[in-house]
Amino acid sequence: MDKILLIPVFLPLIAGFVLLFLPNKIKLLSRALTLVISVVTFALAIRIFTLGQSNYAWSVLEIGNLKFDLLLSAMPLGAFILMFAMGFGLLITLYSLKSIGPSAKRVNEYYGSVLLTIGGSAGILLSNHLLFLLIFWEIVTVSLYLLITTGGKNSNFAATKSFAMIGASDAALLLGILMVWVLSGTFVISDISLATASTLPIIAFLLLMTAAITKAGAMPLHTWLPTSGEYAPASVMALLPAAIDKLLGIYLLVIIVRQMFVFKSVVLSLVLAIIGAATIIIAVMIAMVQHNLKKLLSYHAISQVGYMVLGIATGTPVGIAGGVFHMLNHAVYKCCLFLCGGSVEQAAGTAELDKLGGLGKKMPITFAACLIAALSISGIPPFNGFVSKWMVYQGVIQMGTAQTGGAAKLWPIWLTCAMFGSALTLASFVKLIHSIFLSRLPDELKDVKEVSLPMKVPMVVLALLCVFFGVFYHVPLKLFIYPALNIEPGTAIFGTWDSTLATALIIIGIGLGLLILLVGLLARKVRTVPTWTCGEAQTNEQMIIPGTHFYKTVSSMGGLKQLYTGQEKGHFDLYNQSGKCGLGLTNFLKWLHSGLLPMYLTWVTLGLLVILFIVCGIW
Amino acid sequence: MTEALQSLFWIIVFPGFLFTVAFGLFASWIVRKVSALVQWRVGPPLFQPFYDVVKLMGKEILVPQEAQQAVFMAAPLVGMAGVLLLSTMLWRITIAQTAFVGDIIVAIYLMVLPSLALILGSSASASPHASVGTSREMKLVMSYELPLVLAFIVVIIKTGGQLNLAAIAQQVPALSISGMLAFLVALLCVQAKLGFVPFDIAEAETEVASGVLIEYSGALLAVWKLMQAMMLVALPLFLVMVFLGGFGASLWTGLGKYVLILVLVILIKNTNPRMRIDQAMKFFWFYCGLALAIAVTLAIIGNYCGINWL
Repeated sequence: MDKILLIPVFLPLIAGFVLLFLPNKIKLLSRALTLVISVVTFALAIRIFTLGQSNYAWSVLEIGNLKFDLLLSAMPLGAFILMFAMGFGLLITLYSLKSIGPSAKRVNEYYGSVLLTIGGSAGILLSNHLLFLLIFWEIVTVSLYLLITTGGKNSNFAATKSFAMIGASDAALLLGILMVWVLSGTFVISDISLATASTLPIIAFLLLMTAAITKAGAMPLHTWLPTSGEYAPASVMALLPAAIDKLLGIYLLVIIVRQMFVFKSVVLSLVLAIIGAATIIIAVMIAMVQHNLKKLLSYHAISQVGYMVLGIATGTPVGIAGGVFHMLNHAVYKCCLFLCGGSVEQAAGTAELDKLGGLGKKMPITFAACLIAALSISGIPPFNGFVSKWMVYQGVIQMGTAQTGGAAKLWPIWLTCAMFGSALTLASFVKLIHSIFLSRLPDELKDVKEVSLPMKVPMVVLALLCVFFGVFYHVPLKLFIYPALNIEPGTAIFGTWDSTLATALIIIGIGLGLLILLVGLLARKVRTVPTWTCGEAQTNEQMIIPGTHFYKTVSSMGGLKQLYTGQEKGHFDLYNQSGKCGLGLTNFLKWLHSGLLPMYLTWVTLGLLVILFIVCGIW
Repeated sequence: MTEALQSLFWIIVFPGFLFTVAFGLFASWIVRKVSALVQWRVGPPLFQPFYDVVKLMGKEILVPQEAQQAVFMAAPLVGMAGVLLLSTMLWRITIAQTAFVGDIIVAIYLMVLPSLALILGSSASASPHASVGTSREMKLVMSYELPLVLAFIVVIIKTGGQLNLAAIAQQVPALSISGMLAFLVALLCVQAKLGFVPFDIAEAETEVASGVLIEYSGALLAVWKLMQAMMLVALPLFLVMVFLGGFGASLWTGLGKYVLILVLVILIKNTNPRMRIDQAMKFFWFYCGLALAIAVTLAIIGNYCGINWL
């Protein structure tokens, strides 16, 4: 009976609920309270992780043989994800102290929802009972809705869209959980072990998977992410869609693949692999042509989920470990990127890439953090994104050479999508770095200043984590990933990547380069000169080339052009399409309800006839 | 301690910095000499590339006022360090026949580093010409990355899922239809990575006045030139190891394979006009992509039916 498990769940939940109803005049309290609670939950999460396996059970309700017990247990997987989720909560709270400034209107609502998110995700990660997991899952969904609405103009639309899509997937979760209960007779996660041989378990699996990948933001139910990315505050995007939603979604996916179901079905691994590969490549293609910083980042948040899903789909130890490690890495660098984006937006007053440029000189810390995170997400060695992608590739190759089955036979396709997607990610981030930090400074941005300390600290911490997890990747793998997945260390990875040695050698190489530079500097002085314009007098504005048109060659290529225009108009958005279907249905109902008595009478008579036919059993 | 010293010797002297630079400058002399012969000229003396670098070292370093100076200065160093690591790694694996630093995936990713450094450096130089160069270089990278990945997949199929470069170098994938296709396309990718005609789109002297390198001068330009010379060592060596069975038993056959690739690269360079970037993208994505899709299919069929020459 470890009561410690209760605190990180219920302390933030209660405090958050109270804060929601606090009048907005009391501003200081909500911040102080959120900061204190997030520090406490983070500390407790570390304690829970170091404690190892611990359980707490409290019988809430008993109807017949149906038991609703609040079962909290710290499994290795849940505990390590909990630690990171709480860590992100703390960093975002710190960042919000300045980014959600005193001028913001709904401060208490914001902080209350942050606390609800923290508590809810702790609940999901600790609960061992499917119904409680569902309740906490809903709390996180609702708090996401609340958080997006704090974004001001137009954010209501985005919040509604997110809520509708995630809510629909939550309905799938509910249905899936009920099916699992019917099939296995229990709600306790650790007791469930269903074979995926017949139709019903497969449907249950697909329903649960839908919920997991919608939360994580994989295709085809991804469209809530870019919409909210455009309107929600950057800190919200960094907290939920970038970090915690990924952790939760992939956590659920791993739980259902590794724990609740015996994952042997060929069809299911094929479905997962297709979702993974398609998500990687399609989302990154869309991301490349975006003009809005936050929207671009949101599309990458979708694309990266593909690697996690693909890694899990391979079913090989190295692939699954890589997928889970990628989840962790992604949360780190994408959170950092969104925070950098938020800093840029706050400092420059816009998130449109066309209007930015040359900010690297004005905001060196933000630039450095953003560059490291961008290189990580593009999979440049020796940063962390490379390691997990490399593991996923190995998983795909191992699947292709060791397994037989539909998904295994098609491994070249998955590998191509994954590796080529990585190159496109690099392209997209080159555009981002060029447009924001390099290139030239527009005249309007001459007075931009670096953001304040509470905003810098989270970015720097996350950027350092990117480097650490990349250079010393054995540490997180041995500490968190392998124990969580019950994999024997040293057996999974079969490639070679001596990251520490490589980093040392790169540093030596840079040192050698510096030596050459030094010789050059001793020979002659450095001279600062204006940009060479081939003798033409040009104003600063004329010389700015924003990166937004870098990839016009791609978007205007025959064949791709039509797809891009269709995407721009929302033809491939399930939300829009189902919205249209719904509209068609209501129009039909409207047409039926014309108010004409003869019409109603006709329907009534027809209905009566049908009932008569059925009742009399004429056919 | 001895291990650290050993690594230090490897990276600085042999087969690292000194060796690679010397070899690279020699290779770039071969490139210039053979090009001259093709064009019916005499060509430069043996030490010309070396003189060029030394002369550049003595020139003034000009830094544009508006540039992001830290990145502008650091980019060439990082690029050179990346190529140095790649070269050292490949030579060590060739010599010792064991895994060192990384496998084939790592090698493919390390090959991106010089292009990335070039992109960041030129982007930081705040010149409109350089910006055009940045965009072109990046598009070039993403164009050849697709066929390169497919060629890599052919190799993986042919070698039975090996990632270790030393083990891959034991086999000769190019001795089959799919392997040969993959080799030829990978050769074109290397051509593009080296920035040689017909893929010198990002530098295009006649259009964007050296594009990516426009603002570089003095020792910084010397570092770029050294980096390009070192790439002349590492990239053909990678092809030799992956497709042509490595150095094998004797040094001379290995060098022969290396020279063969170098000559092929030079001939392609001297017999083709520069492409536009959209042409290059179409070429790599559609034509090379299609050729390699066929190659991958053939390789898979060959693998299943046990026909090695497919």
